[in-house]
Amino acid sequence: MNTMTLYVEKDSPVHRLDPLVKLLYVFASIALTYILPEPLFIAGVLFVTLLLLVIGKVFRNSLPILTLSMFLIFSLVIVQGFFHPDNVTELFSIGPLVFYEEGLYVALVLVLRVLVMIGSFSVLILTTSPDEMVERLIKKGMSPRIGHVILSVLQLIPQMRATTSKITDAQRSRGMETEGSMLTRIKAFFPLMGPVVLNSLNETKERSIALEMRGFGSSTKKTFLNEEKQYPYNKLLAGIIIAIVILGIVWRVMV
Amino acid sequence: MNTFELKDVAFSYSPDIQIFDGLDLSFDSRTTAIVGQNGAGKTTLVKLMKGLLKPSKGTLLIDGESIAKETAAQLSRRVGLVFQNPNDQIFKTNVLEEVMFGPLNIGMSRSEAEKAAREALQKVDLESKVDDNPYDLSLSERKLIALASILAMDTEMVIFDEPTMGQDFAGKEKIKAIIEELNTEGKLVLCILHDMDFAAEAFERTVVMNQGEIILDGQTRDVFSKKEVLEKAYLEQPYVTQIAHALGYNESFIHESELIAFLNKNA
Ligand SMILES: Nc1ncnc2c1ncn2[C@@H]1O[C@H](COP(=O)(O)OP(=O)(O)OP(=O)(O)O)[C@@H](O)[C@H]1O
Ligand SMILES: [Mg+2]
Repeated sequence: MNTMTLYVEKDSPVHRLDPLVKLLYVFASIALTYILPEPLFIAGVLFVTLLLLVIGKVFRNSLPILTLSMFLIFSLVIVQGFFHPDNVTELFSIGPLVFYEEGLYVALVLVLRVLVMIGSFSVLILTTSPDEMVERLIKKGMSPRIGHVILSVLQLIPQMRATTSKITDAQRSRGMETEGSMLTRIKAFFPLMGPVVLNSLNETKERSIALEMRGFGSSTKKTFLNEEKQYPYNKLLAGIIIAIVILGIVWRVMV
Repeated sequence: MNTFELKDVAFSYSPDIQIFDGLDLSFDSRTTAIVGQNGAGKTTLVKLMKGLLKPSKGTLLIDGESIAKETAAQLSRRVGLVFQNPNDQIFKTNVLEEVMFGPLNIGMSRSEAEKAAREALQKVDLESKVDDNPYDLSLSERKLIALASILAMDTEMVIFDEPTMGQDFAGKEKIKAIIEELNTEGKLVLCILHDMDFAAEAFERTVVMNQGEIILDGQTRDVFSKKEVLEKAYLEQPYVTQIAHALGYNESFIHESELIAFLNKNA
């Protein structure tokens, strides 16, 4: 079954990075946009992030996500430009509404920050398989239970989709109209909700029984199916990222 | 309904694996069994006939008229399908509601639907479970509930996808009786089976499917006498046929009673 993940299976240096390093990069890049809220600096972080997307051969896959966020970005610019409390310098006006420079500046920082967030999360999500990520976290001491929760949440949507199509088939094969006009489809939607939710609960119960049967709840130390991968420049990269964050903080305090 | 025909039908789930490519097949008033190994395409075939899947090429015709324009819901008044897995079919939390769902959708009033539902449940001997939750019943009971919910719709054609799976002797006898009754009512009956003995015993015609193609089609007796072709499709002959063969008789037997009568006469 395909999962909800956006993971793109490719071979690239970014794919081969330790998931934990990528996770660290996400936190570090977002933190940096707060530590040094200068448009030029954030643009630099954004550039590095986009570069990682390109190296990871997933830049095109990140475009839909970025496009989706355009709505948020657009509304940020509008709201800040027109209504930021520090607004004084007029840029232009539409009727009684005046657009200000200060607002635009604030919006610029916010927009760049949002882009960095989305970009670095994309680096992580598009180039890391959730299985690898969770396994790595569990090896680092996270509880397997939490790992299971994360992975099953990722399964939730595709599972619901499968259940929905199963129940739709059961309904239309017994005379309930589910195809055709918008109205028919809306009418068909509501009788679906009950069975889908009940079915999902049932499946969850059955899965938990299956897991228990195979000793998931036992307290002995678990071994892993997959051999541990080697991540060569792990420590070095993590060190560099942390160093940059510390430098950023020092810069902020000094200047 | 007199005939259900498939002409030059092609279908695939994913572009690289073709399930059917130019399939021709037709069904008439003879009770028909379809046999074939796992993955042969039997379930896919009946889902196409039910309008749940759409062919990429070819036509499906009822009494000579194409059903391409009909939705699965419209088709359900005429063709009933009992799913292979009852869990794919049952979605209500009350047995009576489950069985009444189809009849209500095809325009019966509540009282008519309830009457039809109770009668159908009686045919599968589960009228005592009307108030139960289907999820609390055993798999074999759920299969019979699924069967009853199609019977209650009183369609002109009834398709069973492996009805005997998980049924004991009594259950199989019940299903056999239902098939015979449907046939005498003039309905088209089509049944997918893995149980060769059941196919031999209860069906006039047998179709053998292998990797999306029909490799044998004819009178059940003739089909089950073709040992080599059956083996090519990884199928066995019915036990009676095998026993008669092991005893050295050349006639092909497909009913237990035939062989017993034959043995008595020759003893
Ligand atoms: N929803 C689906 N998506 C993709 N492939 C499918 C799907 N359903 C079935 N298949 C594939 O199509 C082929 C035919 O499946 P089908 O279910 O028709 O076989 P069958 O003859 O009914 O087998 P069985 O005896 O096991 O019920 C199989 O190879 C199966 O894996
Ligand atoms: Mg099947």
